[in-house]
Parts: sequence; C-alpha cells; structure tokens
Amino acid sequence: MRVKVNPLQCTGCGLCELACGYHWDEAFSLISSSVMLYRAEEKKNYMGVIVKTEEDLFIGRPEGAAAIKLGELSKGGGGGASAKPILIREACDLCESTTGEPQCVAICPHGALYLE
Amino acid sequence: MDSMYYGDTLIVDLDAGTTEEVDFVEADEAGPGLAAGLALYEKYKDADPIIFGSGLFTGTPVPAACLGFVLGKSPVTDELAVAPLNLFAGSEMKLSGFSMVVVKGTSPKPAYLWLHDGVADVHDASAFAGMDTWDTTDAIRREMGESMIQVISIGPAGEAGSKLAAFSINYWGSGDTAAIGALMGSRNLKAVALRGLGMLDADDPAEFYTRSLELFASARKDSGFAALCTALGTGDLDKWLEPIAHRARACFACPSACFPFVKYNEAPTVMESSDVEEPGMLLTSPAAALWLMDGGWEPEAASRALEAMAREGLDMVRGARELAGMPLTDPGEIASAVKALEGSAEAAWPSGEPTPAGLFGAWTPPLADADAWKLANMAGYVLGVCPTYLMLSEVDLEALAGLCQPAAGVEMEIGSLADLFG
Repeated sequence: MRVKVNPLQCTGCGLCELACGYHWDEAFSLISSSVMLYRAEEKKNYMGVIVKTEEDLFIGRPEGAAAIKLGELSKGGGGGASAKPILIREACDLCESTTGEPQCVAICPHGALYLE
Repeated sequence: MDSMYYGDTLIVDLDAGTTEEVDFVEADEAGPGLAAGLALYEKYKDADPIIFGSGLFTGTPVPAACLGFVLGKSPVTDELAVAPLNLFAGSEMKLSGFSMVVVKGTSPKPAYLWLHDGVADVHDASAFAGMDTWDTTDAIRREMGESMIQVISIGPAGEAGSKLAAFSINYWGSGDTAAIGALMGSRNLKAVALRGLGMLDADDPAEFYTRSLELFASARKDSGFAALCTALGTGDLDKWLEPIAHRARACFACPSACFPFVKYNEAPTVMESSDVEEPGMLLTSPAAALWLMDGGWEPEAASRALEAMAREGLDMVRGARELAGMPLTDPGEIASAVKALEGSAEAAWPSGEPTPAGLFGAWTPPLADADAWKLANMAGYVLGVCPTYLMLSEVDLEALAGLCQPAAGVEMEIGSLADLFG
C-alpha cells in the first residue's frame, strides 16, 4: 500500500501538506510534511504533488504520475529555494499511528491523493 | 499569546526604514484578526497606518483559512476599508511569523517590505519603480532567489495615485476595491514580499484538528467556480469561459476552487510545462469577468483585458465595468483602453451605484442579503476564513467560532461579533 497521486484532480490548496505536517509535529507548517505541493511555475498554472517514501518519490505531474527510485533522481524535487528539500524530510509512514486512512488522503477535497 | 502568533505584531517605519517587533497585548481585549487590526489602527491613528493582518485561523487546516487583509483609509471614500489577502498571501504572511504588520510613514524612495521566517527588512525598490505587477513579482522573486515568495505589489496605477488602483497578489490582481493600491503608492511602498516556513501551534492541537475535519465533513461539497456562478445567478459565466479554461485553482486550505485559469497564448489542453512562459491568466474576479461577458466581450479578449488590469495594478471590477460597453478584440487596443483607465476616478460598482462605502466595500457581488454578507465578512476577517466560502459552503458559523478555544484559548460567539467592530 502506498499514497498515490491523481495530479489533474489537484487544485493546489496545500491541505495535504498541512495534514501531513500535523501528523509529524502536531502543529501546522509546510516544512516537515512527507507530501509536497509543487507550485513553483505559477504563471503556467503548472502544479503537482510529490510523496516521499523510504524507497522513492511518487511524483504526480500534470502529464502523468510515477514513482522514481531515490537513487535515480537527478534533482531533489522543486519546492522552491527556501523549502526544506523533500529528500531530507520524513518518509511517508501511511500515518501508522492513527486509525483510518492517511491524513493527506482523508483531507484532500478532490480525491487527488489515494491509497493503493 | 504564543498560539497562532496571536498578538505578534511588527511596526514598520517607512520614514526611517526600520522595523520593530512588539507584543500587542491589547489584542486580548480587542479580539483577533480584523478586530485587532482596527484596534491597532486606532492606537497608531496619528500616523494613518496601513495594516497588513491575518485572522486567528489563517494558515491552518480550517476550511478556507486562507484569508488575511489590508486595512487602511481608502483614497476613494476617505473611510477605513479592508481588502482581502487570499490565494497564498494571507497564509504566507502568517507563517512568516507576524500576525499583524503596522506600516507607518512614507519612504523617501520606493521600498518593499520583506517578511520571512520571523525577520523583517525594508528594501530599496528604486529599480522596480514603474514596473507592472508581473515584472515586480518576477524581479523580487529573482532578487531573493525563491519562486514561491508571495508578492503584494502595486503597478503604475498605484504609483500614480489612481483612484482605480488596486494592489495585486502575485500576478492575479486582488479584491481591492478601495484603492488600497493607491494608498500604498502614496507611501512609496511598492510591494510586500512574504515567505514563511514557520509553525503554528494551537492550544489544544488534537481538538483543533479533529473539529476542523468535522467542519470539512459538514460543509456543502458543491462549492467551486461553477457553484459560485450558480449562486451569483450567473450560470453562463463558466460556460462562456469553457473554450479557454485550463485548470481551476484554490486558495490555501480551501476545498473550493473558485478561480479558473484560462489560456489564450497556448491551447488550454496543454497540461505539461511548455516553452510558453505566460500562457494565460488566473481569473480571480468573477464579478469583473461578468461585467465583460454581459458587455458582449469574447472570453479571450476579456481575459486579456483582465490580465492588463492586473499588470497595471487596477481594480478589475471597476475597470471591467468601465470597459464593459466597448467590447474590443485587438490586443493592442485592449492594452490602450486599460492604460487609459488609470485616469478614470469615476467608476462605480455596481453600475449606476456610487462606490460602496463602509469597511468591507464590495469584494464580490452579494451571495445573500446584505446582513448575511456582512456577517460572513466579519466572521471571515476575524477568523481568517474566506467569506465567499462561508456563504457557499453553509458552514456552521458557531461551530467555526468554537474553534477559537482549542486554537488559542479565546472564547468567541458569532452573536457577539458585531461588538468587536464597535
């Protein structure tokens, strides 16, 4: 089981990042989440979502979604220069300490994140 | 008062180019959000400040907790007026570490305020003078080397003091219908740039989070641009835009997606990141688009006009009303017509009515009776939640206000909101 991304359903609200950050810190921020909303190409309305696991990044881009092994990455994920690089964030643990589905899946209003 | 940065206030002196952090203890009595903003204005009234603020929940996973505000004396009405900071501007301001920012004085040369991670600096913006809001946003992001900085800027209209001026949030204009953009221009404040990687702590985080999720579950699920059009009685607006519609975008933490992105410099079906750097426009003002649609404009030409207004730093609602009766198609003629708006100070909203006075003015057309809209504005600006979402989603306002206790140990009832506004 893992969290996957249906990128064209994403509206860029960032609730997934907030929910995941809460899971790790019991506070609200955008720096510790295992999920990162890619929104650095704002003028192009180009958005995507990245989920970090122990083995790979699941990258949901508008043109498609796929997992890329950490060793095969050429760049660390584009969260912006001041964003904490996703490669040094905690890996998704599927919110194992909580009951029910992962927080990011539960809170996404549009089904852009799902468990499979 | 550490929860949610409640009370953490920055005083900016543009005369001297200095900043000072203060703990605004009066916020306990005044209340959060806009209530604190009004109290701060009163405290520093002699300086006639511009206040950038956020609500108690701004930046948290409360539904639509994206809202911040700019408060100042409107050059149009000479009364205090508030304009919304939506998209990611309100949340980024809160996460930058300041709940409220009081800007006093006038800079001797163009300046911009840079807020990030609990640090505030006044920077020289002389090189950006005369730039439109798109170029200003790009220039500040380039200067700071960070593409996700949120930029509240003014364009040539604000610098010239046009009463049709509005500040813009990044590239997309704003709901500033009170010429706060001209007020910024009169103080030589070209922009406020925001980047925040702070962390918001609640008094009782588990309770706050659980009850926030319950609000999501209880809200209507059919909000969004199409639902907004229906609620406004403008069911054709989304159909009119359909040929150029790309993807809708939401503000921070909002389950609704009220803003359609339209593409007219490349096919709207293009989803990948192409070589076209500026393919279109995020339409943040349904009211402005409605004026142009009703005036007989084609959607592409109307979107180009709205882009030009956002670039110039013009109020898109009043600008669209001015242009509604003269549908244009040629991009050059559109640009010239928009540029000519800078000199117009007579535009009113809605048609035939005087420019609305009062604190809230007109951001979007009312979605219900005036009292309900006013209540949604009061609740929204105090709590940091988009008033349009409150109207569309039919969220229980008492349940929303009940989150103040787990958030920051503050008691609030919707019935007593009006007391906070005197």
